[in-house]
Amino acid sequence: MTDPPSDNGPAERVIELRLPSKLGYEKVAMDTASSLARRMGFVPERIEALRTAIAEAVTNAIEHGNAHDSEMRVLVMLTAREDELVVRVADEGRKQLGQEQTAPTPRIEEALTRQDKGGWGIWLIRELMDEVEFTTAPSGGNQVRMVIHLER
Amino acid sequence: MLDDELSVSTRERDGVAIIDLVGDVTTFAEEKINTAYAQATGQGARHILLNFRQNDYINSAGIAILIGIVTEVNRNNQKLAVSGLSQHFQKIFRMVGLAQYADIYQDEEEAVRGFAATAA
Amino acid sequence: MTLQMATSNPFIELSVPSELGYEKIARDAVAAFARRLGCDRERVEDLKTALSEACINAIEHGNASVSGLRVDIQCTGMVDRLMVEVRDYGVRRYPGDMPVVGIDLKLQGLAPRRGMGLMMISQLVDEAGFTENTEGGNRFRLVLYFRRS
Repeated sequence: MTDPPSDNGPAERVIELRLPSKLGYEKVAMDTASSLARRMGFVPERIEALRTAIAEAVTNAIEHGNAHDSEMRVLVMLTAREDELVVRVADEGRKQLGQEQTAPTPRIEEALTRQDKGGWGIWLIRELMDEVEFTTAPSGGNQVRMVIHLER
Repeated sequence: MLDDELSVSTRERDGVAIIDLVGDVTTFAEEKINTAYAQATGQGARHILLNFRQNDYINSAGIAILIGIVTEVNRNNQKLAVSGLSQHFQKIFRMVGLAQYADIYQDEEEAVRGFAATAA
Repeated sequence: MTLQMATSNPFIELSVPSELGYEKIARDAVAAFARRLGCDRERVEDLKTALSEACINAIEHGNASVSGLRVDIQCTGMVDRLMVEVRDYGVRRYPGDMPVVGIDLKLQGLAPRRGMGLMMISQLVDEAGFTENTEGGNRFRLVLYFRRS
C-alpha cells in the first residue's frame, strides 16, 4: 500500500469551496475551477473538459453521496501547482459508492434500451481527466480526486 | 501565477498615441502602464488614448495607477481619453471622478474623432 | 397542492489563500452563486467589484500581507437579497474609518492615490460595513438587494 499523494504541501495554494447539495450549484464549482484554470494557462478545450468533469463529480456527490439532502455539503478543493491542477470533490457519504460503480463501462447500445439512461458521469470523468482516483474523504464521505495536467 | 494578466502596447493613429490595455488592470499593471505612457510622451504625444480591451477586472489599485497618469498628463499639458470600457467600468470611472479628467468614449473610432474635433 | 416549506437559506463558503490575485477566483465564484439566485447582470458586476475590493482589504490590511494566511468568504442567498461576509485573521484591526478623499486631492499629491476601495464598495452595494467578529479577525459584510424599488 502506498500513501495517497498529499495535496497540501506548504507551498500549495488551495481553494476550498463548500456548496449546498442541490442541483444547479455545481455551476458555482465549474465557474470557480475554470476561473483558476484559465489563469493557470489552460487552453479553452481543456477548461471545457475540466468543467464537464467537475459538473459530473459534483452532481454525483449531490445525487448519490448526499442523496439530495440539501443540508449536506459538497466540498470542492482546488490545488494549483506549477504543472497541474488537482481537484477533489467530497460528499458527506450518506450513501457509499461501491467499488464496481467507480469504473463503469457504459455502452450506448445498452443505454438505449435501458430505463435508466444515466451512469455516464464517472465514465466521462475518467475519459476527460488525466488522473482519477476514488477514495474516502477525511470526513468519511466519498471523494474523487482528479488531476489535469498543464501542457504548455 | 495569478498576478500578471495584462498586455500593454502603444501605437499611433491620426496624431493620437493609443495605449492598448488588454486584460486585468490591477496593482501589477503599474510598471507596464507607466512605461507605455512614458514612451508615448517621449515621442512627443499630445493626445493619449487608453484603449481598454477585454478588461473583465479593473480594481481600485488599477484606478490609482490611472490617477497617476492623469497627474502626469496635467503636468505635461497633454489630453487624455479612455475607450472600450464596459458599462460597469464607465460607471466606476465616473464614481471615482476620473471622468472629470478624461473623456470617456465607447470605442477607439469615436475617441479618435473626438480628439480631432477638440483639436480643430 | 403543497406549499413549499421555508427551507434554510442556501449558502456557499469559500476559502482562498491570502494573496493578491486570488480575489479574482473569489469574484468568479460569488458571481456564479449570484447568477444562480437570479441576480441581474449589472448587479453581478457591482458585486464582483465590491467583493474584489473587500478581499484586497482583507489581504493587504486585515492579514497585513502575511503569507500563509487565508481569506474566508461566506455568501448567503435570501428571498430578496444576497449577503456576503469576508473574514480575515485580524493581524491588524481594520475598522476602515478613513476619510473619503476626492480625486482632486489625490491629483495634487495631497492624498495617497490608493484607498478608494471602501468608497467604491459603499457606492456599489446597498449595505456595507464591518461587523463584530468574536473569533478575532475583521469581518466585513456587504448586502446586495436583487431589485431596488
